[in-house]
Amino acid sequence: MTFLENKAIQIAIKNLKDKLRHWQYLFFSLLLPILFTIMFYFMLGSEVDPSGRSYFDYGFPGMIIYAVGIGTMNAAIMFAGEKRSGMLNRLDTMPTGRKNIFLGALISESFLLMLQIIIMFIFGYVVLGLYFVGPLELFFGFLVSVLFGISAVGLGIMIASVSKTVEIANAFSLLIFMVLIFLSGSLMPFESPIVYFTPPFWAKQIFLQLTVLGQGLNDNLYSSSLIGSSAKVIPITIFGGLLIVIAFSIGFTLLGILIFQKKTKF
Amino acid sequence: MSLSKDSIAIDIKDLKKYFKEVKAVDGVSLKIKKGELFSILGPNGAGKTTLVRMLTTVLTPTAGDANVNGNSILTGKNEIVKKIGVCPQDITIYEVLRAEENVEFMAVMHGMSREEAKEKSRKLLEEFGIAGRKDWSKHFSGGMQRRLNLAMALIFEPEILFLDEPTAGLDPQARRLVWDFIRDLKNKDITIILMTHDMVEADVLSDRVAIIDHGKIIAEGTPTELKEKYGSDNALEISFLKQVDLELVNSNIQNIPFVANSSEITHKERKTLIISFQGGLKNLVKLLQQGIIDNIDEVENMKFRQNSLEDVFLNLTGRRLRD
Repeated sequence: MTFLENKAIQIAIKNLKDKLRHWQYLFFSLLLPILFTIMFYFMLGSEVDPSGRSYFDYGFPGMIIYAVGIGTMNAAIMFAGEKRSGMLNRLDTMPTGRKNIFLGALISESFLLMLQIIIMFIFGYVVLGLYFVGPLELFFGFLVSVLFGISAVGLGIMIASVSKTVEIANAFSLLIFMVLIFLSGSLMPFESPIVYFTPPFWAKQIFLQLTVLGQGLNDNLYSSSLIGSSAKVIPITIFGGLLIVIAFSIGFTLLGILIFQKKTKF
Repeated sequence: MSLSKDSIAIDIKDLKKYFKEVKAVDGVSLKIKKGELFSILGPNGAGKTTLVRMLTTVLTPTAGDANVNGNSILTGKNEIVKKIGVCPQDITIYEVLRAEENVEFMAVMHGMSREEAKEKSRKLLEEFGIAGRKDWSKHFSGGMQRRLNLAMALIFEPEILFLDEPTAGLDPQARRLVWDFIRDLKNKDITIILMTHDMVEADVLSDRVAIIDHGKIIAEGTPTELKEKYGSDNALEISFLKQVDLELVNSNIQNIPFVANSSEITHKERKTLIISFQGGLKNLVKLLQQGIIDNIDEVENMKFRQNSLEDVFLNLTGRRLRD
């Protein structure tokens, strides 16, 4: 069996075809974050602080996390659609295996997340010329965003499990995603301990500290404490924050799969 | 029924599925032979789809068991799904994939290599008259989507095929086309389980039929057996021109052994004879030859209503299939 004949890969390819052939998806996932970025760019302006960085330099990591978080809705819609259309049941009558269905979905969603982040990077760092420490830090920021994206997919699977229709999954995931983004203080500062319980907060703070605030990866990763909104120091290193993001990703994904299995296997 | 173990494709033993108080399937036992086209006929909500979902391992039974191709649905799911094809009632296709992409995807899911999948799907789609379509399947007509739905279940040549209402919502022409495909499949020695509420479909296609109502099998046999055992007599209504001697015709007809009864009606100079008789179309021809032929020039109009599975269902349950 070749790599391309692997069932999970075939499911991922099918998912990608399915998504990339919907203009609504392309607009919502790839273009809307750019439109939001432009809006925030004009809102925050290009005024610089004494360190020479603009307010938007500080805000852009939050925009990336917001864009990646849309994966929640994409996953919710996809799984609710498979459930609703009967395709999930049809695949269950074939030697496909749920394992391959979930793995395929994670592969396709991760690919799309990466595409989304790359587009945002090109737009922010190349087109708008925003500040970043260095390419290595940016690559690390990329990985953190992908990790966060996986937790967003996990959350989407959870929402799909309890949604009877695609429309409900769409509305429900939008609601949860927007509340989560607000509570995490990713787009606008939010002064509350609640932020620590949201995955976007950790992902955004690590991204911000590595690519905008820090002096370089070696100095930052193990020794520096994370700096929260309003410049409060959190007694957790960036590495510790990274472990929290990983824990959220694994936890949300496993929980999503477990709930989905429980709700769709009779 | 005496069947050797090897000749049985599906052996259902007291299968039950309850959803809280609702007894969707309530103690179904059946034996389906290899290569047979077996229909499960019943109204909507009778338990047909629940039964298929258990046999195809999607649903776990509340009680009972079934062997599909020698494997228990409780313990042999992995083996069963390698041998069965399922064509669901609702059209279940990926709408923004092309026809061949849909079929190839299903083939690869069954472990076929991509080359083999491409080759087989091309041939199959040619057979189904949808080869070469480059547009997405959401643009296909209802009939084409239904055929694609069926092709997706057939690509890996299953030993047992479950067809759940394969002609639902199709126009008569498309329906006939699907029937032809099903007849072709029958000739390929595939065991076909057809779930339908269409008694004509069950009648014309099936080797044997089981009638299901409220989750229970209420009758089982060949269509002819069922009609003979539970059905009504055939009815022939003949209107004559006024010069006919209706009494004479009627007395001739009543002497024919398979005629159950016949009655004369005269209304506004129109003379009508209503004849009930047993047996199939052969007896209709005999009846015309023996009882009507001498007065054929006086026949103005003729209506024939054949005993059907609808009558069987009506006689067994007191309801029509579509009630």
